[in-house]
Amino acid sequence: MTGEILLEARDLAIGYDRRVVVSGLTFSIAAGQRLGVLGPNGGGKSTLFRAVAGALPPLAGSLVIRERVGVLPQTQRSRLDYPVSALDVALMGALARHPWWRSAGRAERRRALEALAAVGLADRADSLFGELSGGQRQRVLLARALVEEAQLLLLDEPFSGMDTASATATLALIDRLAARGLGVAIATHDLDQARRFDTVLCLNGRQIAFGPPAAVLTRPVIEETYGGAIVDVPGGGGGILPAHHHDHA
Amino acid sequence: MLVVGYLSLPFVQRGLLEVLFLAVAAGALGPWIILRGLAFFTHAVGTAAFPGLVLASGLGFAPVLGAYGVAVLFAGSLEVLRRRRGDRIDSTTAIVLVGALAGGVILASDVFASRASVDSLLFGSLLLVAPGDLLLAAVTAVGVTVVALFAARAWLATGFDPERSGSGGRRSRVPDLLLYGAVALAAIATLAAVGALLTAALLIVPAATTRLVVRHVGRWQMATGLLAAVEGAAGLLVATELNLPPGPTITVLAGSLFALVAVARTRAAAAAVAAAAAAVLLAGCGATDDDDRAVAGPRIVATTALIADWASAVAGDRADVHAILAANADPHTYEPRPHDLLATAAAAVVIANGLGFDDWIEPVAEQAGFNGRRLDLSAGMPVRRGDDPHWWNDPRNAESAVRQIRDALVAADPGGVVTYRRNADAYLARVRALDAAIAACLATIPPGQRTLVSDHDAFGYLAGRYRITVVGAVLGSGSGQAQPSAADLAALVETVRRERVRAVFGEEALSPDLVRQLARETGARADLTLYGDGLGLPGSPGGTYLGMMAANASALATGFAGERRECG
Repeated sequence: MTGEILLEARDLAIGYDRRVVVSGLTFSIAAGQRLGVLGPNGGGKSTLFRAVAGALPPLAGSLVIRERVGVLPQTQRSRLDYPVSALDVALMGALARHPWWRSAGRAERRRALEALAAVGLADRADSLFGELSGGQRQRVLLARALVEEAQLLLLDEPFSGMDTASATATLALIDRLAARGLGVAIATHDLDQARRFDTVLCLNGRQIAFGPPAAVLTRPVIEETYGGAIVDVPGGGGGILPAHHHDHA
Repeated sequence: MLVVGYLSLPFVQRGLLEVLFLAVAAGALGPWIILRGLAFFTHAVGTAAFPGLVLASGLGFAPVLGAYGVAVLFAGSLEVLRRRRGDRIDSTTAIVLVGALAGGVILASDVFASRASVDSLLFGSLLLVAPGDLLLAAVTAVGVTVVALFAARAWLATGFDPERSGSGGRRSRVPDLLLYGAVALAAIATLAAVGALLTAALLIVPAATTRLVVRHVGRWQMATGLLAAVEGAAGLLVATELNLPPGPTITVLAGSLFALVAVARTRAAAAAVAAAAAAVLLAGCGATDDDDRAVAGPRIVATTALIADWASAVAGDRADVHAILAANADPHTYEPRPHDLLATAAAAVVIANGLGFDDWIEPVAEQAGFNGRRLDLSAGMPVRRGDDPHWWNDPRNAESAVRQIRDALVAADPGGVVTYRRNADAYLARVRALDAAIAACLATIPPGQRTLVSDHDAFGYLAGRYRITVVGAVLGSGSGQAQPSAADLAALVETVRRERVRAVFGEEALSPDLVRQLARETGARADLTLYGDGLGLPGSPGGTYLGMMAANASALATGFAGERRECG
């Protein structure tokens, strides 16, 4: 089920100052689609998300974004000592739709509470953000994106540092949001997860492949993406042994 | 006097009002200063006001305007630099601060010469709150509270997620600029109350303390405002009771409370600690005795220990003499004590040195509500070139000062005329005898050997009286804080060698490093010191005027002759 095109990149190159980090990007995200973004660390996933969020101008090619974008930063970079409740964080989403000096009215609070309910955290609205688990913090940031009325969500490695139960709950939430018509891009290292998404984008300094997982996630593409050899794990799916191993504990 | 009794004093009332206004600003901004990592910026923006103060003093506009102008420039360039370079705000603040301070030093040393009003704002005092200060504090309190109300959500979102606060990268720069501007305004308003060095005591420490027990921004702001008000008011009253400078007192109070709360940590323990601290403070206040002495005649306030020495000699037991500046204290960094204002308020006569040496007596007299007789001793003196204020180094000027003091005391207390005349005549005879003895002592040294090099140009009157040639001073006249340039120092070395100067003289109240350096380069001796800016400590040879003059003359004669001499 796909709808209108939310984002479209053609021959896009992005980076910092004049240094290109990733190039040759030609892909799109449609409403209701889940896009898995694969690639090694330094391959360009976070740089791409920063460009889509508007923080980096394209160095070449075109990038068209038709709807409001909500970015979920890697949650371990959030400030955990901040004196904000889950509700406060969700309410920050209202800033995207109103001038900065407008205070949050009753309607905004109701919307924020609804968003927290949608991510399954209605009962933690008054909890301090820093005291929530990693998975719960990720879902609070999702609620903030919902309050923003973002139509396109960018999740930068949402599962790193998350236990299996939280990851499963978050994946189910992503599915529900996509079913509601949002476009969702998820940066991940997990090939099995990527196979569940509608499309995948493989990056390693340039675009290696883009398309439905069944067509794209072939052995040569994966090897080119990670620059390593596939290790067959007995009794399981394929695993990756990256040339440059980097653990996210 | 009970603490409550001080509330009727006008200068205490103004200080309290000032502290309350600033507490409102501290409550509105303190939490944001902490959350947004602006503590160093807050400190720096007050300190960086220096070039603005120098400009204001040199060009003759209100110091606050100069300070705030520089503060706004500071905030603006900080934001530009930070955006362009993507640096942390701390390192950018340091770069801009160093630039501002260097600019201020160059302006102060090489463009303008005056410094009195510069010092007065950098070392502001809660005891000297003028109506303009109150107005600035009130405007600041209202302004920053309104800004904080409107911008709070944007400030919170930016601090929480600096890269992007949830608006697709199209974040407005206005809220951050408003935050820096509001902090700058509050820092400048605080300058007038507690001085640049102590801005943190009001704007940062209370918020850091309440953060330990409060977790929601709104409540945190309320608690911070309340705590800043209590600490400020308690500090002012305690300082008034114990005769301490209010700024440092508030700082120590706030810092101690922070440490206690950080240790206690839990709410119940913190409340108990606060209650105990308050009880100890109140008990301490109530326990102190007043040192009022019953005297028949008037109360006299002298700005310096030297003038107090003369006034006591003339008044004898009949009048109560209060010296504001302690012996050996640097007149440039003076902050008035509460008892100085209390004494001034009750005084019949205030006696000042004049010529810029003790200009701070003006605001002190004004805030104390003093309406007695003012005596500027320099008005009756033959003044040397450049308004040199060290006129007492010529004993004939001391005679003039004693006669002026005698006449002022007689006018204020005609019943004591016999006492004052008798005491003055006796003292004047001793001054004349000393003058003759010094002249005779120095006359035994050939005029060619009477060449004086010292570290501070304070001896022009002395040289004129006793035919001494001043060939150089390491520092110019006036401030003990100036720095000599390498070229000046080299020229002085050359002079000392050419004139075959045998001794260079240090000064009791100044660091001996420069004189030692000069001695190493030239082979002259540097172990003799002079009293240049006034009396030495009580009990030292320079503890009285007569002792100080004799000590200076002996040191000079010893240095000139190259052997031990005693004069006077």
